[in-house]
Amino acid sequence: MSPCETIQESLGPWLDGELRGADGEAVRSHVASCADCAAARGRLEKLQLTLGTVLSTEAPQLKFAPFWREVERRIEAKRPWHEQLIEWCQSTLSAPRLAWAVPAAIMLVLGLLSFAKWPVGGQADNYASVESIDAHGRNVALLRDDKTKTTIIWLYQNPEGENENVEEAAKSGPAF
Amino acid sequence: MELSDWQLVEKSQAGDADAFQELVSRYHQKVFMVILGLMRNREDALEVAQETFFRAFRKIKSFQGGSSFYTWIYRIAVNNSIDAQRKQKRNPLDFHESMDGLFEARNEVAKDPFADVQDRELRENMSKAINELTPEHKAVIVLRTIEGMSYKDIGEILGCSEGTVMSRLHYARKKLQDKLSAFL
Repeated sequence: MSPCETIQESLGPWLDGELRGADGEAVRSHVASCADCAAARGRLEKLQLTLGTVLSTEAPQLKFAPFWREVERRIEAKRPWHEQLIEWCQSTLSAPRLAWAVPAAIMLVLGLLSFAKWPVGGQADNYASVESIDAHGRNVALLRDDKTKTTIIWLYQNPEGENENVEEAAKSGPAF
Repeated sequence: MELSDWQLVEKSQAGDADAFQELVSRYHQKVFMVILGLMRNREDALEVAQETFFRAFRKIKSFQGGSSFYTWIYRIAVNNSIDAQRKQKRNPLDFHESMDGLFEARNEVAKDPFADVQDRELRENMSKAINELTPEHKAVIVLRTIEGMSYKDIGEILGCSEGTVMSRLHYARKKLQDKLSAFL
């Protein structure tokens, strides 16, 4: 981008008084020494002047009394229920309230989920699971105590299965 | 002693209808001009301006003074105008005779006839060129030209950054210059 293009992009903000300090000074000194940019400035000023004239002349002066009467009529008119509902929702679910509502909803869901894991009406059954780990009647039970956060892995032999497995154990020899 | 906007807002929030009426009387003309600049149709602009103050009345209790009253009312006006513009089907700057009673008579100053024709041609073309801008581009042009607002205030009203305002203004002016190159 040439220096003139850069300056011409800044002409608008400069004429609007939005470029101050070194930036504003750079535009001012360039425009003072460059005929093309000075012409661009002239065109932009004429555009702004015409815009101002067009926008202000096409707007007639409003009479206040009839204007206010119509605003007042709207204020006093009974609005239908669905409009009132929409307005209530908009005011209730405004952005700052939503900012609080989202973490609150997350907390509620987490709370409900953790509550669902608690047994209803009494002590938790800590007996978690029993799995048979080999063909010789040895089982493993996992017990967890939530209070002390202790997990016990309990290896034991099933007395009922013992007899069934003794013969098989004798046939197959020691398992170890 | 004249009350400040904020004092009138506080009174309106407490249910003082006269205070709200005073706020409307301070801003109705400016709000109407901004809306007309965006809508390009007097009848629609009047309707949107009245709706703007009606909505402001309904929302005044939630206005906490985070911005000035005029920034707040212009924000409502611009949002209403952009919404209405998308639905607008009327011809730009249509004028119904039945609305005569709402406007003050304007005194036209006699001019040089040749300059008058040239001016009228330029104004007509400028008006057409404004109509062809997008609502967002129209909004920055109108707020800057009519109100002379800073980029910061315009950004606050339109909910965008100062950089975006600067960029939109640049492109809007460029489009207008391209369309009016024969006159400028």
